[in-house]
Amino acid sequence: MDFLGFLVTQCLNALSQAALLFFLGVGLTLIFGIMRIVNFAHGAFFMLGAYVGYSAVHLTGSFWASLVAAPLLVGGFGAAFELGILRRLYRRDHSAFLMVTFGLTLVMGEAIRLSWGVAALEVPAPKSLSGIVFILDEPFPIYRLFLIGAGIVVALAIWQFLDRTRLGLLIRATSQNAEMVHALGTDVRLVRSAVFGIGCGLAGIGGVFAAPLVTASLGMAPNAVIDTFVIVIIGGMGSFAGSLIGALLVAFVQVFGTYYFPDLALALMYLLMLIVLVIRPGGLLGKEA
Amino acid sequence: MALLELDGLTRRFGGIVAVDGVTMRVAAGEVRAVIGPNGAGKSTLFNLITGVTTPTSGTVRFDEHALTGLSAYSVCQRGVSRTFQITALFPEMTARENVRLSAQARHARRWLPLGGRNVFADAETRADAALERLGLIHVAHRPAGLLSHGDQRLLEVAMALAQRPRLLLLDEPTQGLSVEETEQAVETLSALLADGSMTVLLVEHDMEVVFRLAHMITVLHRGAVIADGAPDEVRANEDVQRAYLGGLA
Amino acid sequence: MRILAVVVCVLALAPAGLPPYAMTLLTEALILGLFAMSLDLMVGYTRLLSFGHAAAYGLGAYAAGNLLLHTSIPLVFTILLAALCSGVVAIGVAWVCTLASGVSFSMLTLAFAQLLYAVAFKWTAVTGASDGLAGIPRSPGPFGITFFEGRAGFYYLVLACLVAAFIFCRSLVRSPFGAVLRGIRENEAKTLSLGYNTRRYKIAVVAISFTLGGLAGALYAPFAGFTNTELLFWLFSGQVLIMVIVGGTGTLIGPIIGAAFFMLVSNLLSSWTDSWALFFGAIFILFVLFAPQGIWGLATRWRSLSSTG
Repeated sequence: MDFLGFLVTQCLNALSQAALLFFLGVGLTLIFGIMRIVNFAHGAFFMLGAYVGYSAVHLTGSFWASLVAAPLLVGGFGAAFELGILRRLYRRDHSAFLMVTFGLTLVMGEAIRLSWGVAALEVPAPKSLSGIVFILDEPFPIYRLFLIGAGIVVALAIWQFLDRTRLGLLIRATSQNAEMVHALGTDVRLVRSAVFGIGCGLAGIGGVFAAPLVTASLGMAPNAVIDTFVIVIIGGMGSFAGSLIGALLVAFVQVFGTYYFPDLALALMYLLMLIVLVIRPGGLLGKEA
Repeated sequence: MALLELDGLTRRFGGIVAVDGVTMRVAAGEVRAVIGPNGAGKSTLFNLITGVTTPTSGTVRFDEHALTGLSAYSVCQRGVSRTFQITALFPEMTARENVRLSAQARHARRWLPLGGRNVFADAETRADAALERLGLIHVAHRPAGLLSHGDQRLLEVAMALAQRPRLLLLDEPTQGLSVEETEQAVETLSALLADGSMTVLLVEHDMEVVFRLAHMITVLHRGAVIADGAPDEVRANEDVQRAYLGGLA
Repeated sequence: MRILAVVVCVLALAPAGLPPYAMTLLTEALILGLFAMSLDLMVGYTRLLSFGHAAAYGLGAYAAGNLLLHTSIPLVFTILLAALCSGVVAIGVAWVCTLASGVSFSMLTLAFAQLLYAVAFKWTAVTGASDGLAGIPRSPGPFGITFFEGRAGFYYLVLACLVAAFIFCRSLVRSPFGAVLRGIRENEAKTLSLGYNTRRYKIAVVAISFTLGGLAGALYAPFAGFTNTELLFWLFSGQVLIMVIVGGTGTLIGPIIGAAFFMLVSNLLSSWTDSWALFFGAIFILFVLFAPQGIWGLATRWRSLSSTG
């Protein structure tokens, strides 16, 4: 195997992985930017997206339909949960929030176990995207190229959304000075619910995209939330650009690390998290007050 | 040799210089007030001395030993105790338990995982003595979170005192107190410092308090020392008057 | 204290009155009670929120399993040794996790537990991978005592461990060390400024917590006769946290009650519905929202209210 070909393929691998991680990271960072808390259930929403995607594909036969259905359902559920439950916790200390979102993760984990069983579920990629293409004489899955493209599109979309739409402006303003936004007449609570829903929806769509690659399983939730946490610490909590950088860094470490140390994937993440926490001992920097 | 020596102590936060080349000598037994307008860097200075923040440059020497770079708990173990600008207590513990935990920190067997009746007895003796001196013995059994603001400020001082520090740092002890509470606090502190056995660094905004308690005053402005000396000298200093925009009393 | 003595006496009489299947449930409840109580030291007394306490249980269970299968060390010593194993590993883990605090600390505890789970899956020689270890015997106790091998005997071993651990924990939280933990819980920055190396205390409490949690796992291995990766799964970490919160944090007794409640509900409900664990998670959320002091906290408050009339 020629080295250039290997390098290019692995880099493309990393980019596709970065796309997946970006969906997760940008959602968590948006939620933190608005609410100043870490959504521990983020990994569970990712997992839910994968399972909903699986069912949507099996019900409708269309992967594209699941790409639409999953984020709407998952995001909707997230917004509803924020409205019904999380809203009561803003006045309490952060550990209460952490425990409730952890509790939500458990509930979702059990609900998924009940509904879909313990076995990992295969989600087939759509026919138009399955198969391989040759890059520098190395085979590379088309689906992963699609992921890279999807990641770029979503990143641009979110950027434009934050930059140019009214809701995007409200979100940015609220993350900087919620009181002022409230004083100017906007119901900040609605902004929060919307952002939580969007964040969870992004995690959900990440799950749908990830499903054909990793299969849907109950172990997704804790690993996803750990990955996401590392990304936003690296990039800075609340920073959109940061989640991009973090996603890229983590993806490259994962892909190249797994190639050279195949059994140590999880240990690598742990190590990365340690290094990051040592360098930034506060853990949560970026837009933190 | 001065008990506390600060040399060129500087702390930068990005582009902001919070503390700018502060050099200070505090003699044993002295009560030194550190004053200055808001944002002058007084609390940061305290944080630098007590190891809460590390200096960008400069040194802190206490009793001829370097204090720079030590962690907050190590600095405390060397004999430096402090109170905080924003009241820091253990709200659900009683006042006595608060001070007892503070006194316990100096006990050789403070880490005992079982028993420890002796440790508690010793610590409580010291705690009650400190509470007496601060006039708080009558509320010793009450949860600290339920005390009046004035009593809470004094409780913090009691906690610092129970450690028998060689250097005591008081960060705005009368902040948020009513006129009566301030008067009571000043009288208590005055009595405390009367025998000259304690070296004190005092940050205060209330000039009356400063002039009643301090032997020497250091004035900070934008992180740098602009005046340093006896109260009357400082009072007359033009730079100081200008910094405060309207002059001192 | 007298009530507790009465409860222990009643529990000691259990083998005389209860049918075998109830004895099995009770034994497991006591083991889980020990496990939950060990977590309370971290969560309730020091406010160190761990999402990976299953690691302690798994370490103890696998250590005990291996010792019982491959050595002839007596049962009682095996269990203690396995618990110690867990505690020693915890020192390293705690050293790492306490580099951070708050959310980061919790994430690190989860990451470690996940790591252990992944290792258990791969390290077939020691853990039997996804099949786990089976046929774990209850070796003869020291001096050839075979008392602990039987159902009642093993029950008494578990009960003795729980009572001893409870007495130890109670002394611990009332000691000078315990006073510092309480300071860390209420205001860590202040505790630090008083001259305490709070990180060292946190590492110590995690190690103790893991030792006792490992003891529970070590008792489970010969109790069930097998271990598997389920003992390290994140949902199990969640369940023990639920036991602590629902039972009542910072009380030692609360988590034991929480564990008993958990066993009761899971056994009663599981005959009707498969979704009892979901129900439990929902109860957890409700408790965090509306009754953060837990069952035992509610009970003590009710008791003090009714006694003042």
